Amino acid sequence: MIEVRFRRRMPEIGAQAVLAGPEAAARLSLPGFAGRAGEAAAAHDAAGRRLIGAGLGAAPWPREVREAAGRAVALAHGERRIAIDARCLPAALAAEAAVGASLRAWRFPGAPVPRGDDPATPLPPLLERIDIVVAEKRQAGAVWDTLRPGVAGALYARDLVTEPANRLTPHRFAARLRRLEAEGLAVEVLGRRALREAGFGALLGVAAGSAEPPCVVVLRWKGKREGAPVAFVGKGITFDTGGVSIKPAEGMWEMRGDMAGAAACAGAMRALALRRSRCPAVAVLGLAENAIGASAQRPGDVVRTVDGTTVEVIDTDAEGRLVLADCLAWTVRRFAPRAIIDAATLTGAIVTALGHHRAGLFSTDAALAAQIAAAGEAVDEPVWPMPMGGVYAEALKSDIADLRHCSPERRQPDACHAATFLGHFVGGTTWAHLDIAGVEAREEDAPLGPRGATGFGARLLDRLVSLRFETDEA
Amino acid sequence: MPEIAFAKPSLPKSGGLAVLATEEGLAARLAALDAATGGAASRAAEAAAFTARKGQSMTLLAPAGTGLARLVLVGLGKAAELTPLAAEEAGGTAAAALLQDAAAAIDAEPACAAPVGAAGAARVALGALLRTYRFDRYRTKEKPEDKPKLAQLTVLAEEVAAARAAWPSLKAVAEGVFLARDLVTEPANVLTPVEMAERCVALRPLGLEVEVFGPKEMKKLGFGALLGVAQGSANEPRMVVMHWRGASPPAKGARKGARAAKPSKPTKPLAFLGKGVTFDTGGISIKPAAGMEEMKWDMAGAGAVIGLMAALAGRRAKVDAVGLVGLVENMPSGTAQRPGDVVTTASGQTVEVLNTDAEGRLVLADVMWYCKKRFDPAFMIDLATLTGAIIISLGHEHAGLFANDDALAQGIEAAGKATGEPVWRMPLGEAYDKMLKSDIADMKNIGGRPAGSITAAQFLQRFVDGCPWAHLDIAGTAWSTKDKPTVPKGATAFGVRLLDALVADRYEGAKG
Repeated sequence: MIEVRFRRRMPEIGAQAVLAGPEAAARLSLPGFAGRAGEAAAAHDAAGRRLIGAGLGAAPWPREVREAAGRAVALAHGERRIAIDARCLPAALAAEAAVGASLRAWRFPGAPVPRGDDPATPLPPLLERIDIVVAEKRQAGAVWDTLRPGVAGALYARDLVTEPANRLTPHRFAARLRRLEAEGLAVEVLGRRALREAGFGALLGVAAGSAEPPCVVVLRWKGKREGAPVAFVGKGITFDTGGVSIKPAEGMWEMRGDMAGAAACAGAMRALALRRSRCPAVAVLGLAENAIGASAQRPGDVVRTVDGTTVEVIDTDAEGRLVLADCLAWTVRRFAPRAIIDAATLTGAIVTALGHHRAGLFSTDAALAAQIAAAGEAVDEPVWPMPMGGVYAEALKSDIADLRHCSPERRQPDACHAATFLGHFVGGTTWAHLDIAGVEAREEDAPLGPRGATGFGARLLDRLVSLRFETDEA
Repeated sequence: MPEIAFAKPSLPKSGGLAVLATEEGLAARLAALDAATGGAASRAAEAAAFTARKGQSMTLLAPAGTGLARLVLVGLGKAAELTPLAAEEAGGTAAAALLQDAAAAIDAEPACAAPVGAAGAARVALGALLRTYRFDRYRTKEKPEDKPKLAQLTVLAEEVAAARAAWPSLKAVAEGVFLARDLVTEPANVLTPVEMAERCVALRPLGLEVEVFGPKEMKKLGFGALLGVAQGSANEPRMVVMHWRGASPPAKGARKGARAAKPSKPTKPLAFLGKGVTFDTGGISIKPAAGMEEMKWDMAGAGAVIGLMAALAGRRAKVDAVGLVGLVENMPSGTAQRPGDVVTTASGQTVEVLNTDAEGRLVLADVMWYCKKRFDPAFMIDLATLTGAIIISLGHEHAGLFANDDALAQGIEAAGKATGEPVWRMPLGEAYDKMLKSDIADMKNIGGRPAGSITAAQFLQRFVDGCPWAHLDIAGTAWSTKDKPTVPKGATAFGVRLLDALVADRYEGAKG
């Protein structure tokens, strides 16, 4: 994460950006720039410095500030430093500029680094430092301290989602997560034998075709409040070929991101640790590779989940819900959590339904759903409620087992079916499911991030905890 | 359609009898039946594990001690959860079991308890009637013994007068539903746009004003998008405007000298619009052959609007309403519209037609714009079998609801719940709207696979011109492959009952 500093005066060097509404825009010498929200422009001054204007509109909300700062950073491409003048904003809003700038400035650490010694590859230098220029430095810095952990969590999730599947196998993923111990999280890894003993038949069935052994990683944050933890459960399919029900070749490379739910949960846990949240929390991440092989699971197989439910596997490419079923049931049994929120790149159907702008929210608890929706709006990770249960349960009746995990028919509301399936494994626990397929990566650069992994969910879950779970009510 | 009558409860001497029961009231009902059947009713209920759960039913054939051919027990569920819809569904379940009896009765007394009240018997009758729907026009060789025989259905309840008073309105709604189901079921070689317009004209005796627009008139109105869809077909397109003036009927024998009374300001009408693609081949962007026969019901939105207008007129609804349907056939041919064509809509906005199979929105765009300009309605609600994506989103369980007005959306959600035509609200927003950006025109007519139903709704929203508006994507709910209590499989007429209830509950003042 690029260093952000708050200062009172504009530095002399680096790109000079101004966040401006219509009035301030008139004072800038940027032709055509009117300070409207969504607008940004750049020019060079006499000294050769890059001048950037990013529009706030007349009455900016946090979102406009974040996006304006993000646009400014995008226009500073090739600069090592950028200073963003946010002096027209109160401290709390100015701190949001740091959020937007940091989110936009992220780069995958594995990306090629510019090398001065090779003129044949003239990669532009990378941004190294962001200064936010504010009137009230201390106050803005204090607000940033509450926001920075969520941003750090989101960027951590992006790093993980971007890693290719040969570099991020289940056990290498677990090893990366192990390093979170340094930040105060307790990390436990359940290997294949432990999973077999605990009865993770569904998860092991998914992993059966891969040479890479699966694992379940448990991240725990103790918090300060007494009582049951809030639990996050994440789908972490490090690569999804579809298994025997193999996917078409086109676009299959995107399936390295099929662990974005687990990454979001890990990012949220990191955020809680960084800001020393009062709330005890646990994340249970089911990590497996859905590969094709001689020992792979077949369509029609029946597996037994942690809670003894038998499940007929109709389509081996609907593997995420099998992994989650075991993880959810085990989480309920082991932690008796106050609430469970799971995140998963679960279905193509949710992309057909909601596209790339909203995640699907499924919940049986209206209050939790409303708070998740509010948290999502607050951090630019919008969700939309979708239906589950009731009549959708009809599609999951199996002829030979307790359940089948999807409908064999074409053109089905598979996202609703998947959520209904998951609902069987949470008992009476307050629960919500986020289907983040479609929002885990973006196809084009956006104000709050370059194209690629978004980290969707990490900031949302962090905000949800601060909205709902840090109070003392049981 | 069987004859419906109401009478006081008594044990019929012959024919079929269905007895409704709540879970709490089952024992008393069985005791009364045991007296006539020598205990057979209780023994049968026990053997069948019948506990009067909602939706449960069981049949005894020729119970001893009675002259009945059939005794049916139908569960209403818990007494505390009784609703008009539950009464209708029990009536439907009863009717399904009684179809082979020429004369039958349903003892509906338990459905008349609070909060449903004395009109509960009429609700039972409605549900029963809706379930008896059958489209028989093209069965010429069916043996009489294979045909349903139910011709006379008597609904039994203590408060006969209340049931009879409530019935005519409900019957009119059922007739609207049947009309819509007929239209949707008719094959496309019979129900061309011209024929469908004729069926609208035939509604004039109900008091509807009906205007029909042909290609020449629509060309004059600038309907470039609708006409572009129609141009590949040998069947001419039509637009039909139906107007029901129930709030301001021409005063009969108006008192002379009442000049002081101001003429009441004409209220804005409610507007309902329907997509009526009588057959959708997809056009040049032709659909795969498998399942294409289903595309005869691509006019179900228009069918529902026509059924609704018939229902409103049939029950003399105290409301001003207009129904507009755009009727076209989407065919590939030498004159058909091509992918890449640009058409100019009635609004003046241009559309790049990238996929000729996204034609419904083109038809509605012109009709909606015209409706807003001519009637300035209180709201516009359109119904359309618009996208396959809504089936992937919500299945056959909910229609997709899109709206630019929260109050209107909430009214539709409530009416859908009350009538068993559930809807689920879906989002709109600028990010989705941007997906329609075209390189050479004001918009393109598709936004890609992601969020396919939402981008279709965004397209329509560009033609509402600030009017409160809701769009129901009924592609997943217009046709049912399985029987439901009040809807036999086939055409559902989804939308007729929902919108009739919306009008009755929110726009006619206190319901009669």
